[in-house]
Amino acid sequence: MTKPQANRDQGRELEISLLRRCFSAMGISVVIVLLVLVGRVVSPDFLSTDNLFNIIRPVTLLGIVALGVMFITYGGHFVDLSIPAIMAMSGMVAVAAQGLGLVGSVLCGLGAGMTIGLINGFLIGYLRLNPIIWTLAMNFMLDGLLRWFTGGVQVYPDYSTPTGAMFVQLSRGELGGVPGITWFWLGLSVLAAWLVRRTGFGQQLQLTGAAYDVAATSGVPVRRIILLSFFISSLLTACAGILLASLSKQGTFTNGMGYDFNAITAVVVGGVALSGGVGSVFGVLGGVLVIGLIGNIMTLAGWGSFDQMVARGVIFVLVVALMTLLARRGGQSHE
Amino acid sequence: MKHENILELRKLTKRYPGTLAVDRVDLAVRRGEVHAIMGENGAGKSTLMKILAGSFDDYTGDIFINGQKARMHSPSLAKSQGVEMIYQELSLAGALSVGENILVGRLPRRGLFIDKRAMEREARRCLSQVGLNVDPGQPVDMLSQHEAQLVEIAKALGNNPSVLVMDEPTSALSRSEVKRLFAIIDQLKQRGVTIIYISHHLAEVFMIADRMTVMRDGRKIVTVPTQQVDPATLVEMMIGKPVGQACIQRRCVPGKKRFRVRHLTRRGFFHDIRFHIRAGEILGIGGLAGAGRTELARVLCGIDPYEAGDILLDGRVLDHRSMRRTMKQGLAYLTEDRKLQGLALQLTAQNNLLSALHIKRGGLLGARKQRDSFVSHAEQLQLYPAQPKRQVTQFSGGNQQKILLGKWLATAPEVLILDEPTRGVDVGAKQIIHEAIVNLVDVGKCVLLISSDLPELVTLSDRVVIMRKGHFVGEIGKDQLSENTVLLAASRDPEALAHD
Repeated sequence: MTKPQANRDQGRELEISLLRRCFSAMGISVVIVLLVLVGRVVSPDFLSTDNLFNIIRPVTLLGIVALGVMFITYGGHFVDLSIPAIMAMSGMVAVAAQGLGLVGSVLCGLGAGMTIGLINGFLIGYLRLNPIIWTLAMNFMLDGLLRWFTGGVQVYPDYSTPTGAMFVQLSRGELGGVPGITWFWLGLSVLAAWLVRRTGFGQQLQLTGAAYDVAATSGVPVRRIILLSFFISSLLTACAGILLASLSKQGTFTNGMGYDFNAITAVVVGGVALSGGVGSVFGVLGGVLVIGLIGNIMTLAGWGSFDQMVARGVIFVLVVALMTLLARRGGQSHE
Repeated sequence: MKHENILELRKLTKRYPGTLAVDRVDLAVRRGEVHAIMGENGAGKSTLMKILAGSFDDYTGDIFINGQKARMHSPSLAKSQGVEMIYQELSLAGALSVGENILVGRLPRRGLFIDKRAMEREARRCLSQVGLNVDPGQPVDMLSQHEAQLVEIAKALGNNPSVLVMDEPTSALSRSEVKRLFAIIDQLKQRGVTIIYISHHLAEVFMIADRMTVMRDGRKIVTVPTQQVDPATLVEMMIGKPVGQACIQRRCVPGKKRFRVRHLTRRGFFHDIRFHIRAGEILGIGGLAGAGRTELARVLCGIDPYEAGDILLDGRVLDHRSMRRTMKQGLAYLTEDRKLQGLALQLTAQNNLLSALHIKRGGLLGARKQRDSFVSHAEQLQLYPAQPKRQVTQFSGGNQQKILLGKWLATAPEVLILDEPTRGVDVGAKQIIHEAIVNLVDVGKCVLLISSDLPELVTLSDRVVIMRKGHFVGEIGKDQLSENTVLLAASRDPEALAHD
């Protein structure tokens, strides 16, 4: 290689690694700081404790879902589009099973979600069905099944029973002034970070996501790993679904709407590469926070919810475009 | 005006980062001849042909077609100059029809729609040139390998090329199909089409070529009429005089039999494979691409299943239910394609180097142990730069290959299967990799070496078995081992020789 060529290559490498860093954990912190500054300009009340919870509360359940989606994206399989249906179903099953007591009802809700996760994981991991197409179909089927079973009506917890009352309280507890579900989210995040960074499973998931064929020829049981990633995702999604039913005091078909897209946006904004194998739990937490901040700022600035949806879509497209561009310039998906 | 040389290359050069793939090649190809290009893997044949196909816009030197200087900086420019390629891997779209494939890019139209009738007529005309009588409306998937090959040729002929480049056109064909292909080549010759023919099969080349050009290390060695050489001389020219390569000292002689394979069969891939490897021995497997060597390696290490036979390590039948199990019993398999199957390119050096070990253990080492393990392997393999957090893509090819070898050495294997361990690697890295392999057998481990690099196979191996079409067809002991004996055994075609 000639000298100028080498220099140019080095320069390019530097440029790429700088841009790449924008999406790393550090990058997301910078974005958050910038958004906080913008928020302060938009509204003087922005930095109050009340508003802090206004930012976090609406995205806590999203945060739990996004943690799960991260396992799928990190493993190179994009996203689970059956998230809305899994949330709706686990919530409805939990409400419907309240005759079994609080523990029984929650376990039934989780069990429903885990079953769907196993089916998704088996079909995508073992039969290699396309994850996007299959989970989209799964969402459609589940939605239909739920409506068919319930005759198209919503289910409500019965407050008059102790179980019903406790179920509604499930999402309303507080500890040290912080909502219980936020603690729950943070606890799950620590657990997820440990799984990804410190265990053999995390390492194998990373290798599978970064290079499927390499993993398969290095002794990774790739199919089982992918099954597990969908299983974990649907388990967390079911948690969020049950909490949402508790929060909204009803089990309904529309409960999980929008969570699929918001979750993948948070994951991608948080620096998890759609091509797999790159990203961190910390980044995903940041991604969720960014979505919360943007929503809050737009609300303070007087934007309606429709405008916010458009804005979120635009942000997603921009981030994905930028990351794809980076990957291509980094030589990962050339030609 | 008709020039005697349809194609002339002057000082043609193509540089890849770090290597000169084609180095100032002068070549003259006469109108209407079959011109064979011979050389070992990495000699520069494929790169030279890619230049002709217009794959590069950064070659230097001049190309003259029919005496006129030609620019070949893109595939469409090359086509417009009348040069057509037929690739080793067929370039047909399986789901599309024969006709659509042949006329791709120049489908006849009537208004907005494709003129189906004209398409069929034109496709039939092209097919008749190769003597193939199939329905142009049929999808290519329905054809046999041989028919698909002929469709590929018909597609190339459709553009009325003056030069047709064929890269290993017979690798997927049976004996009788090869004969039919040769008959077609003869016809094309009579019509004045010039053919550049690349093949590893010596017997074939001697049957079909008028003249041949030998390449080595990116340079043209010589162009000779076929009558003036014999296979042995040709092989000598391809290999060249042995470079003053330091012979690696082996400190121990092979001991007891450790790894045994008995009657191993995977239907459709290989049959009744039998061999053993002694402690401290390197067993080479020679053979042409497609002989079944990689398929055998994949089965041995537990990626693919087998139907019959036994694999034994130290007298015990190997638990073969998954690759992870065979790894735990001491097997390791370095895959042949570093970029697709070897390394996760966007992950770091340390992450890759320790990946197999972590998988084998089912858990991670502590941070300090990870660092120590990386450093010791990086030192042994002289990895440069020895930065654990550097992305694999940012290493040179040779250093990437060192990381790949380190990945398997880190698992402390008893039996290491190497599939093309130094492909596309510079001389320095090659030397280091060879030393690491020898160090491994010196402490009583077994190595199975699959390599198309003949000097490597011959210098490293204690014995070489020859594999052809899924069978072991011979074994060459250390005393008889030379590049000549291996190449002749691997490419010998009993039927073809019977003709001589």
